[in-house]
Amino acid sequence: MKRILSVFLGVLTAIGGFVDIGDLVANALAGARFGLSLVWVTMLGVVGICLFAEMSGRVAAVTRRGTFDVIRERLGPRAGLINLVASVLVTVLTFTAEIGGVALALELATSVNYLLFVPVVGFAVWLVIWRLKFSALENVFGLLGLALIVFAVALWKLGPDWSEFLHSIVAPRKPATEDLSTYLYYGVALFGAALTPYEVFFFSSGAVEERWTAKDIATSRVNVFLGFPLGGLLSVAIAGCAALVLMPQGIEVDTLGQVGLPVAVAVGKLGLAVAILGFVAATFGAALETGLSTGYSVAQYFGWQWGKFVKPRQAARFHIVVLLSLMAAIAGVLTTADPIKVTEYSIVFSAVALPLTYFPILVVANDPVYMGEHVNGRLSNVLGTLFLFIIGIVAVAAIPLMLITAAGQ
Amino acid sequence: MTDDDTFDLRLRLLDRQVVDPDGAMICKVDDVELVPADDGGYVVTALLAGPLALGPRLPGRLGRWTVALARRWADGPDPAPRRIPFERVTELGSAVVLDRTRDQLGIARLEDWVRTHVIDRIPGSRHESE
Amino acid sequence: MRASDLLGAEVHTADGGRLGVVTGLRCTSDGPSTGGLPAPRVRALQVTGRHVGAALGYQQDGQRGPWLVRALVQALHRRTALVDVGSIDRIEDGTVHLSGTPD
Repeated sequence: MKRILSVFLGVLTAIGGFVDIGDLVANALAGARFGLSLVWVTMLGVVGICLFAEMSGRVAAVTRRGTFDVIRERLGPRAGLINLVASVLVTVLTFTAEIGGVALALELATSVNYLLFVPVVGFAVWLVIWRLKFSALENVFGLLGLALIVFAVALWKLGPDWSEFLHSIVAPRKPATEDLSTYLYYGVALFGAALTPYEVFFFSSGAVEERWTAKDIATSRVNVFLGFPLGGLLSVAIAGCAALVLMPQGIEVDTLGQVGLPVAVAVGKLGLAVAILGFVAATFGAALETGLSTGYSVAQYFGWQWGKFVKPRQAARFHIVVLLSLMAAIAGVLTTADPIKVTEYSIVFSAVALPLTYFPILVVANDPVYMGEHVNGRLSNVLGTLFLFIIGIVAVAAIPLMLITAAGQ
Repeated sequence: MTDDDTFDLRLRLLDRQVVDPDGAMICKVDDVELVPADDGGYVVTALLAGPLALGPRLPGRLGRWTVALARRWADGPDPAPRRIPFERVTELGSAVVLDRTRDQLGIARLEDWVRTHVIDRIPGSRHESE
Repeated sequence: MRASDLLGAEVHTADGGRLGVVTGLRCTSDGPSTGGLPAPRVRALQVTGRHVGAALGYQQDGQRGPWLVRALVQALHRRTALVDVGSIDRIEDGTVHLSGTPD
């Protein structure tokens, strides 16, 4: 019974923890401009993250080591370093976006300017990382993130013609008023939002934090294959709400308030309040994850003691890296750059950095010296290689598309 | 590699995580010291770690800067990288296991510095996360 | 000497020809075991290069001991071969110079 409950908790946490500021912004933006014609990209992204999260979780459970630890061993210090630098830069940018997201959500709730919340949010993020136990950290914010289910409720209440709704998803038609290049650009953004690099580092390092062994692979699979797709459905709900409410009015999304507007329309003020709770939980949770991920990556590359499973004074360099990246993220938000724009850049650059993250995982997951009998099966390899190919195309196309469309104008 | 008793040093030893008897992480094998042996070949006499060991393995300018910076940080005119004699190694598996802890080896100067000057000054550093 | 001095180093034959680059260090576990675990002993350099195929004859010449035969079987790649460490004449400026001449 206890086992079932803990698996259930794991799945719920995975659902609630799936969405971050990138998903919120990208899905709302895409829904408002392109209706449901880009939902297929989100679904493709969800399949991808499921595939690679399963792989990286399995690698961590079997080798008892984090991703970057093994990347350096397998690819050598040079390739590992390039990987590390690129990943840290993208993750810190994402961290900046997440902190901005928490501040924006608090502004939405209180009408106090978001910049004033930034130092408070920063301190809270640090304090939670410093003191809260890893599993508590995951569970609390994962469960609170379930508040975003209100978007599914709103979608239900908006009562569209369901057959038409589903038809638009499976047979996507780009709106005639939009260029193909803009359509593709938003596709890249959605893909980058679903497949963020930090997710993989966090998931695998988290597996080591929670002392997973090969016996936990089955549980991890349930979390991933049940939790992530359901979390992905929340992303689709966000896009669907935007498509039904914002698109007909020609409202484009440039604020977090507009992301939540459909919920206010369909469910009322209480619904909006729940949505804001969901925004805060999702972005704060993601801020914790990105902060920890920078620490994990750097410490694992250099071989330093890392993790929350030891006293902070035993992993001093790890905690300093987390603190430094937090300071960089806070500074980034305080430049008053529009957090929504920062979010867009972070997901596009995530798309560019994806091959660096996923290729090594595929390599290690296939290596019998590390994995023993838990090496990739045929299905994982076929899908993994296919996705690597897709990821490669997206990574190459991302920057040119961003330049051509002037970041989606 | 499994059905004969030879192995590639690069795959089995270099860049491996070094841990203490309890599994706590110490460092990476950033390089390895080799000494010509009278009875043939070069014998591994020590594991080397730290920027002075990793620096030369990084490409071009980055490598040179790392070494230069590490030299400034260290004391003495001709600093050497952190050295762990091979006698300390008890196991060469997925990680390299030693018979001493990090503090007993006395090799993590950056860690000690950060711990003393920053981390220990923040309340709660000695507690396990609650 | 460090492993990094050997890895990546260019390998030249005695007459100055470039054989390739050191891409691996083949070891046996029969070094002195003062600490309980026998230290690895580097026996051969794994050299990769375009001209290595032609030099296979040379390094078969330097065969010594059964372990090398077994290891050779593994180095089937045409562009990669093992060079016994005993054939090293000197190491200068990041280049390994071998003694003896290829067949």
